[in-house]
Amino acid sequence: MLFQFSDVTKTYGAITALNNLTLSVPTGAIGLLGPNGSGKTTMIRTLLGLIPVDEGTGQVLGKDFRREQLDIRRDVGFAPEDECLFPHTVGVEFVAYAGELVGMSRTDALQRAHETLDYVGLGEARYRKVESYSTGMKQRLKLASAIVHDPKMLILDEPTNGMDPGGRQEIIELSRDLAHNKGMSLLFSSHLLPDVEAVCTHVVVIAAGKLLAQGEIAQLKQVHSQSYEVRVKGELTPFAARLREAGCTAEEYADVLKIALPAGATPQLIWKTAADASEQIRHLRPQRSTLEEVFLSSLEQA
Amino acid sequence: MPVFDQGYQHWSGTLSGHAWRWLAITRQGVRVALTNRWLRIALFVSWLPAIALATALCLWGLLEQQSALIQSLRPLLGFLDREMLLDPKAYRQEAWTLAYGYFMLTELRLAMLLILIVGPNLISQDLRYNALPLYLSRPLRRIDYFLGKWGVIVAFLGAVTIVPAIVAYVLGILFSLDVGILKDTFPLLLASVGYGLIIAASAGTLILALSSLSRSSRYVAMFWLAAWLGSGVIASVLQGIEHEQRRHALGRFDRDNPTVFVDQELTAARTDWRPLVSYTANLARVGEEMLGTPEAWDKVTSLRAGPEKDMARLRNVSVQYPWTWSAGVLLALFGLSAWILNRSIKSLDRLK
Repeated sequence: MLFQFSDVTKTYGAITALNNLTLSVPTGAIGLLGPNGSGKTTMIRTLLGLIPVDEGTGQVLGKDFRREQLDIRRDVGFAPEDECLFPHTVGVEFVAYAGELVGMSRTDALQRAHETLDYVGLGEARYRKVESYSTGMKQRLKLASAIVHDPKMLILDEPTNGMDPGGRQEIIELSRDLAHNKGMSLLFSSHLLPDVEAVCTHVVVIAAGKLLAQGEIAQLKQVHSQSYEVRVKGELTPFAARLREAGCTAEEYADVLKIALPAGATPQLIWKTAADASEQIRHLRPQRSTLEEVFLSSLEQA
Repeated sequence: MPVFDQGYQHWSGTLSGHAWRWLAITRQGVRVALTNRWLRIALFVSWLPAIALATALCLWGLLEQQSALIQSLRPLLGFLDREMLLDPKAYRQEAWTLAYGYFMLTELRLAMLLILIVGPNLISQDLRYNALPLYLSRPLRRIDYFLGKWGVIVAFLGAVTIVPAIVAYVLGILFSLDVGILKDTFPLLLASVGYGLIIAASAGTLILALSSLSRSSRYVAMFWLAAWLGSGVIASVLQGIEHEQRRHALGRFDRDNPTVFVDQELTAARTDWRPLVSYTANLARVGEEMLGTPEAWDKVTSLRAGPEKDMARLRNVSVQYPWTWSAGVLLALFGLSAWILNRSIKSLDRLK
């Protein structure tokens, strides 16, 4: 188990950031989704033992986040969302210093700093002052400093915020590689659903401090047995009308019809309607929810 | 599959415990500070008084032995009383105390300058570059952060006060060739080290508190100048006004009798609170008491006769109020600084 919360409540005055949150998350690449102000950052701070909770218990990597905060932070690498730098350092010093703060010897920290900077693609900029780095370089620098001590778990808080498409893709690829090929558990907090989908296999959706949905992305994007996507050779509108007459629900989305069959019906009904309307079906497949739909429907249910 | 993957490699080294984690912050702070050329110059200048101290102690050792080496320098020692030259061993403790007193007083001033160069950046830069989350999300407590930053000040002040005091002590012992000197002077060494630590603790905490008040190092430097020079100027002005009034009143009574004049001056100084306004005067007063310089001056000036003795007393024992007043002021400042630090550098337990 990567981490688990049991009835965790955290308030800031009148604001309830985490509201009786109970969840249990397996190891792997985990996406943390939620709208702004949903409690994602508070949840991360709780995981790191940075804030005391009002109620509830929990564990991270088998350690109690109320009592073993320093041990947790030793085993976890964290790249915060905000732009933050150790001033007046060059790249390699920055990462080595991050390693020393975790307890690495100076020699080990410097050696690892060079390795991790090469890995994140900052090898050429290692002797430049970090203040002169671009936004994308600063994000990769934060990633390098988070993994310098080879943590068991990596937490990335909005790592692709404010980045250009190229830089964003690099961060996604690095995160994917760490989580899928290097055996490092990852908690990837973002409100950019395509990024989460590209990196993670598991997702946790929270809003107003409550758990809305949780599970493997592949399972959440389940196949709907009675819903289909259809493209035809001719016009969609008349064909949609014929389907409605046959008892289906049909809605147009760009060049696709999304069809919900009536109870007990099979896809044969669509073929028959097309034959009756002398229409050619060019594409027919069962409908699958996108992560965006999962996210939005979770929010609606809440 | 490549023979050697040049991508991410796992690391299997060992991590140190939590106890010395603050040392990493101190090391980094010292490294960054030493890149400043002005600091290196200031450090060099700050070590010059240490050479003078070591020279004075070594010369006294040679004088005690009546060494031939010192004979050629005797004409230069005319400022010493005859009794001291005839029996230097009897005045060893006083000579060492006064040498250390002068050294520490000089280093106190230079330490303020060093802090002006090193201190303002310590926390204000972290606030400016939002570095606190980087520290606090690692296995560090706030106290580790404070200790690490404070360690930077202690390292530099220790390098110009404690280390030279110890080195000069060892040299002085080697030149005296007398085991008895340890008994006479060892408390002085302890007092010097203790005083160096008090300067570092007090000034270090104060500059950290000031540094946590602003994201701009320039403002912090101005705060420090106000605490160091500003408070000194105000104290001097207040003292000047009070002295003028008192001497004017004294003139009407017994100005021709220097002994009475000096006694009245010293009596008035015992209740004069005005030096307490000056930060460095408070540190100096505590230092005097720790090193025992007033007693040393009393013994040395007692060798002189008549008005010269009185004027020497007045010149050399100008501050006579109880040292506990100054200690109280320094303690209050320390508490205030700790409170400011606690308020300014919070944990991440807050909303954005």
